[in-house]
Amino acid sequence: MSTKPIRVWLAPPGPNPWKVILVLEELQIPYEIVSIKFEDIKAKPFIDLNPNGRVPAIEDPNTGLVLWETGAVILYLVEQYDVVKKLTYGTVQEKSHVQQWLMFQISGQGPYYGQGSWFHVLHSEKLPSAINRYVEEAKRICGVLEQGLTDKRWLVGDKITLADLAFVPWNDRLDVVLMCPAECKFNDFPRVKAWHESMVARPSWEKAMENGMPKQVSNMEEYLAKIKVKKNTRAEAEGS
Amino acid sequence: MADKSDITLYTTQTPNGIKISIALEELGLPYKVHKIEFSKNAQKEPWFLEINPNGRIPALTDTFTDGNPINLFESGSIMQYLVSRYDTEYKISHPPGSREWYEMNNWLFFQNAGVGPMQGQANHFTRYAPEHIEYGVNRYQNETRRLYGVLDKHLDEKKIPYLTGEKCTIADIAHWGWIAAAGWCGVDIDHFPALKAWEERMAARPALEKGRHVPDPHTVKEVLKNKEETEKHAAESRAWVQKGMQEDADKLRR
Ligand SMILES: N[C@@H](CCC(=O)N[C@@H](CS)C(=O)NCC(=O)O)C(=O)O
Ligand SMILES: N[C@@H](CCC(=O)N[C@@H](CS)C(=O)NCC(=O)O)C(=O)O
Repeated sequence: MSTKPIRVWLAPPGPNPWKVILVLEELQIPYEIVSIKFEDIKAKPFIDLNPNGRVPAIEDPNTGLVLWETGAVILYLVEQYDVVKKLTYGTVQEKSHVQQWLMFQISGQGPYYGQGSWFHVLHSEKLPSAINRYVEEAKRICGVLEQGLTDKRWLVGDKITLADLAFVPWNDRLDVVLMCPAECKFNDFPRVKAWHESMVARPSWEKAMENGMPKQVSNMEEYLAKIKVKKNTRAEAEGS
Repeated sequence: MADKSDITLYTTQTPNGIKISIALEELGLPYKVHKIEFSKNAQKEPWFLEINPNGRIPALTDTFTDGNPINLFESGSIMQYLVSRYDTEYKISHPPGSREWYEMNNWLFFQNAGVGPMQGQANHFTRYAPEHIEYGVNRYQNETRRLYGVLDKHLDEKKIPYLTGEKCTIADIAHWGWIAAAGWCGVDIDHFPALKAWEERMAARPALEKGRHVPDPHTVKEVLKNKEETEKHAAESRAWVQKGMQEDADKLRR
């Protein structure tokens, strides 16, 4: 029986949905993207799938399951479809470490990078102490990863797992969080740099990015700037 | 159950720490407790960073089935480990691969990626930040309220006692310490009746009552009733949070 495509609901600009796409690409699971606009994330029909009003969410026609929260989604995809355990391990010990780094990504890297880029790019008023808080935290997190990659190419064992892949979309935007040129973002973190670069060179990431950023925009900074202009114009319109 | 456990929990009295002691009590597992003194910055000492390079509690060590030690950090993954290895009767989890198992993971991640970090930022701007930033306070209090609204609506519309149905699971346990401390970040639980009822239902569980007082008594509810006490606790926490931020920043600058 062939697998029916998994439907992935996403809004292209955010980094989180691309974790799911990366895993789908790595595992060669068929999927289709339902792209929605930012303004529609907190509205029906999307909130019927995800009451939290955040992208992504998936619908799997093969099992009837609807699921959200990227961490839960990629664990599901791997448990359900990765029969040869390409991106995880079968033993409780290694599996627990994969989950541990995944949890660190979703609760450590994601929220703090996210708040950092908010205060830098999307928030209209500059608040140095808030910016500073998240810049320092992002660097601290890179330091933890640098440590975790000591004498190792991958976070768990000797192969790439879903835990490594989960860090890619946000690390790809670290320059936005740190407000530095893209080529300097990993300056103090050579192991993180090599690890990240080996992952963005994989066909899975290239494929994901083909579907990713809106075509006319070449980098994230430009895209966020665009959103900001749009937001300000809207705010002015509402204010007048 | 063939496995023998040899669990040590590294923790302190916080919403993330008590997740693990509550889960251990629910499972009826024996464990040793090692208290980590935040006021002495013990979470950043080299021996602890060997266990958790992230320098945060909770962390847990155990003897694995192969006879070798296993070290774990991140409260969510520690709970997944405990149920994968020891919850063979599905007391606080669902059978792996079942629909309920994935839904449990869904709400577990919602806590760890959503409620925890956002309510944590609300705590920061409301209680610990070196300067008062009204925007920061509002941003994170509002996001916490929004997330509470998602939980409240879910429990209310589905008419279920726990997040994934009739059974209290690690997804519920992960939330409890945070919801019980809502007032600490300035959110009024009375605005979320179904969630409030859930919080009380959880609090009535004997294992939770035991687990929440590890390693020290869980007093946040009483503290919040008294303005002076609240300010005293906030000042203590503010001291170690700011000291930690400073030390992290210095280390990065080298
Ligand atoms: N995502 C982590 C968060 C852990 C966390 O925030 N721990 C706090 C106590 S609740 C901590 O150890 N803070 C010490 C510090 O930042 O120095 C988890 O769920 O384990
Ligand atoms: N280094 C931390 C110290 C405060 C802390 O560890 N807070 C914990 C709660 S005790 C937190 O916010 N954890 C976030 C989470 O659980 O995701 C900070 O600056 O925020």
